[in-house]
Amino acid sequence: MTMTLPYHRVNVLTGTKAARIIEDASEYAHLVKRAQRPLLVLGSWSLTTTLGGKLLIEYGVEIAKTLDIPICATAHTKKKLLELGVEPASSYDIIEILNHLKDPAWKGVKKEGNHDLVMFLGFRTDLGEQGLSTLKHYAPHLKTMTLCKFYYPHASYSLSNFRKDEQWKEFLDNLITNLKSKEA
Amino acid sequence: MAVAAKKKNLRKDTVNEIIRAEDNWEPVGHTPMPEIPDLRNWDMRLMKTYKPFYAPMCDLCCFCTYGKCDLTGDKRGACGIDISTQQARVVLLACCMGMSAHGGHARHVLHYLIEKHGRDYKINLGDQIFVEAPHIRTVLGLKPETLGDLEKAMDYVESQLIHAISSLHTGQEGSALDYESKALHISMLDHVAMEVGDIAQIVGFGYPTSVADTPLVDMGWGSIDKTKPTILLVGHNPVTAVPIVDYINEHGLQDKVEVGGICCTALEVTRYTDRAKIVGPLSRQLYFIRTGFADVIVTDEQCIRTDIAIEAAKVGTALIATTDKACYGLEDYSKRETDEIVKDMLDGKQTLIFDPDKAAEAAVRVALELAPKRKKELVTPEQVPDLAKDHRLCNMCSQVCPNLLPVGDAIEAAKNGNLQPLTEVFNKCIGCGKCEQECPRHVPIFKMMQAVAGSETWKVRAGRGPIMDVEIRKVGAPIVLGTIPGIIAIVGCSNFPEEISEVADIAEEFAKRKYIVVLTGCSAMAAGMKKDKEGKTIYEKYPPNFDAGGVLNIGSCVANSHITGAAMKVANIFATLPLRGNYEVIADYILNRVGACGLAWGAYSQKAASIATGCNRLGIPVVLGPHSAKYRRLYMSRKEEDDWTVMDGREKKLVDTQEPSPEHLITVVESKERAMVTMAKLCIRKNDTAQGRQIKLTHYIGLHKQHLGTLPDDLHLYVRKASDIPIFFKKEVMAYLEKVGWKEKPVLTLPTLIGTYPSEVPIESVVH
Repeated sequence: MTMTLPYHRVNVLTGTKAARIIEDASEYAHLVKRAQRPLLVLGSWSLTTTLGGKLLIEYGVEIAKTLDIPICATAHTKKKLLELGVEPASSYDIIEILNHLKDPAWKGVKKEGNHDLVMFLGFRTDLGEQGLSTLKHYAPHLKTMTLCKFYYPHASYSLSNFRKDEQWKEFLDNLITNLKSKEA
Repeated sequence: MAVAAKKKNLRKDTVNEIIRAEDNWEPVGHTPMPEIPDLRNWDMRLMKTYKPFYAPMCDLCCFCTYGKCDLTGDKRGACGIDISTQQARVVLLACCMGMSAHGGHARHVLHYLIEKHGRDYKINLGDQIFVEAPHIRTVLGLKPETLGDLEKAMDYVESQLIHAISSLHTGQEGSALDYESKALHISMLDHVAMEVGDIAQIVGFGYPTSVADTPLVDMGWGSIDKTKPTILLVGHNPVTAVPIVDYINEHGLQDKVEVGGICCTALEVTRYTDRAKIVGPLSRQLYFIRTGFADVIVTDEQCIRTDIAIEAAKVGTALIATTDKACYGLEDYSKRETDEIVKDMLDGKQTLIFDPDKAAEAAVRVALELAPKRKKELVTPEQVPDLAKDHRLCNMCSQVCPNLLPVGDAIEAAKNGNLQPLTEVFNKCIGCGKCEQECPRHVPIFKMMQAVAGSETWKVRAGRGPIMDVEIRKVGAPIVLGTIPGIIAIVGCSNFPEEISEVADIAEEFAKRKYIVVLTGCSAMAAGMKKDKEGKTIYEKYPPNFDAGGVLNIGSCVANSHITGAAMKVANIFATLPLRGNYEVIADYILNRVGACGLAWGAYSQKAASIATGCNRLGIPVVLGPHSAKYRRLYMSRKEEDDWTVMDGREKKLVDTQEPSPEHLITVVESKERAMVTMAKLCIRKNDTAQGRQIKLTHYIGLHKQHLGTLPDDLHLYVRKASDIPIFFKKEVMAYLEKVGWKEKPVLTLPTLIGTYPSEVPIESVVH
């Protein structure tokens, strides 16, 4: 079996437990729909990455709106979200939200209980690698899912490395469509 | 008498002798020359609030022959270790490396200067510095008077290191918290070692001291006159750099030979002579070496490319290595005659010379003879497309870039004549050269960067060393009361996540807001690499005094001890707390009352890990950039859930303040904008007066609104009484507080952790 290497080599797995790669948007959507308390965490690259003429953060907003998924706005993403008419459920910075997530007794951003699925979009891969390592080791009570175009071995579910942005855009569009669909 | 008691008394006698306990400059506190267990309770108290946060770098432990052992899930290694303890072990290892690097530097400088001046050579830091060594005073309980006394401090530091390193062996420590306590101990000693190193340099080499207005020196490779013989110094230790300058001066060659430095030796040599140049920070090392501008490279120690001998040879630059830390497999020429050394070097031999005077003479003579024979030409923009012609956009270069830069796209654009993307990449490049190494078509990426690097020069203030006592007297009260909103220490290496100019932006934002901004190392250089519309850098725009709105270059890495030392001096000079062997009281004072915050925005080295961890034990929080967090341990609270009870030192009763200040001891943020907001918040202290809190909240709210668009959603946690609310934001804040159901909180007159954990220190010790 050939080992999947992350796009950025700083994100290479040195270990035994790697993410499940999923390329089918409907499968991702199914996992999200199945979650009781999903959370979407947005990072600073969502402000600087464009995809199909839109900022990545706008995809994040669309994903969140489909199932009323709460958003944690890290870095300085909150300002842009407000401009887009979205009030994030929290604005912890990335490490602070991770620090909460690893506690199974934490009440979550909506005070309804800790989240069981945490989606990440728009993070530097080096920080993503570190943060996902934390959750892999210390948060067995939840699953992590990455939405960026790179493979993240420390996640529970990750996309593969998309060579072209068009593939990534197509995936995110399909994910949004599937999330909107009433089918489970 | 029991054996244990006898041993304790014996050690006490030894300590008393070393620190001359009979000298009564201050009473000896509870922990002179502490050993690993002596401050353990303080560490455990800190970690009760600021729990270690790990991002394990590996699922496995590969340290011994039992392994590799899988530590995922609940699994333990064959020796019994779990993932947290293993990660804490890695952190301690990093801190030991960092402290050893500074300690090795300090020991080498001290040894050289004692040979030169003798052990009884007096420490004199000028007429404005009387608390000459706050770390040595506080940690050891010794008031050092001579170079020989500094040697005692190093003896002690080294003795502690052996115990810490031994605990890393398989089958020793089994607790993550205890590994952390050892890391905190070693990192505290790192600041002692740094202090030894810099005091020795100042007194032994005659650096400026007791002065704020140090010269402005030239920075940038454009400041090097490439038509002249050029010597490049790389590293941190000035033991050879100083004799090079002396040789040049003694032989009247000041106008004939260029001396420039990369990394901290540049900061050291420009403290010795303002004619020397700072070529740039660490991130420009490989770039500059490959220009071939240097005729001779002289290396000393730390942060030198380990392939520097290979790189120098590629461009025909001669190389002299000068310390035992980095010998590069070279032949030892220390005992050869200088004429023979020069001859061999001109024949292409790279040399190892431990004798600084000999190395200095050889460096200058080789540079003088070699320079006329060498060509120093940079790639022009017109040549770039041809150099890029074999590029095929495989993006291997982008994939290996540790700063995640789109190198491949930039080369693709350059191939088509558009150099703008390559310029942007260069501005964010951390200079590792992995892109070029990975390229299957051998495109000379670094060479191409010569066409976009420009030759701009900047002015940086030469490092000034310790903060003067008179400055502390002036700012002590405003800092503790909060009316100077904080001390912002921007330190560490230059592996910045984005543009190199971000550091200048951050420094200027806080200077404008009348914080005291202190910088060291490569960050001090980077902060000078941006000019305003009038062509001025922040060092030309802001005063060099340790006062509100000042921007200070303190010096090289080892000068970081003067930043933490300044916080200690506030406790001593302003609050009249004795330093001597009194670490817990001083650290407690700083944690609760001195609004200081560090920023290591681009730190890469293990030294940065120990510097930051040493700050943490002393109660100073640190913010890290994305690269700087890769030692993978933070100390973080959870503001809503954690217990923020402290002792009111005057009332001697426990008070639940409900106020998370400072919120974290060490944390990482993703963007410059978030960094500034976080740093403003981390300068808040429980001791702030209402006026001081108003000022601090004005900046926290202002920065938060500017970058996150709203009032902070934890603002209610930092408003104790209505009088804390900044007038400028009063209406808005009152409405917010009403919405969240805010209630007044207790205000303490003397917040302290002493009395909240087991300690021999009586609560009376914190009352001044």
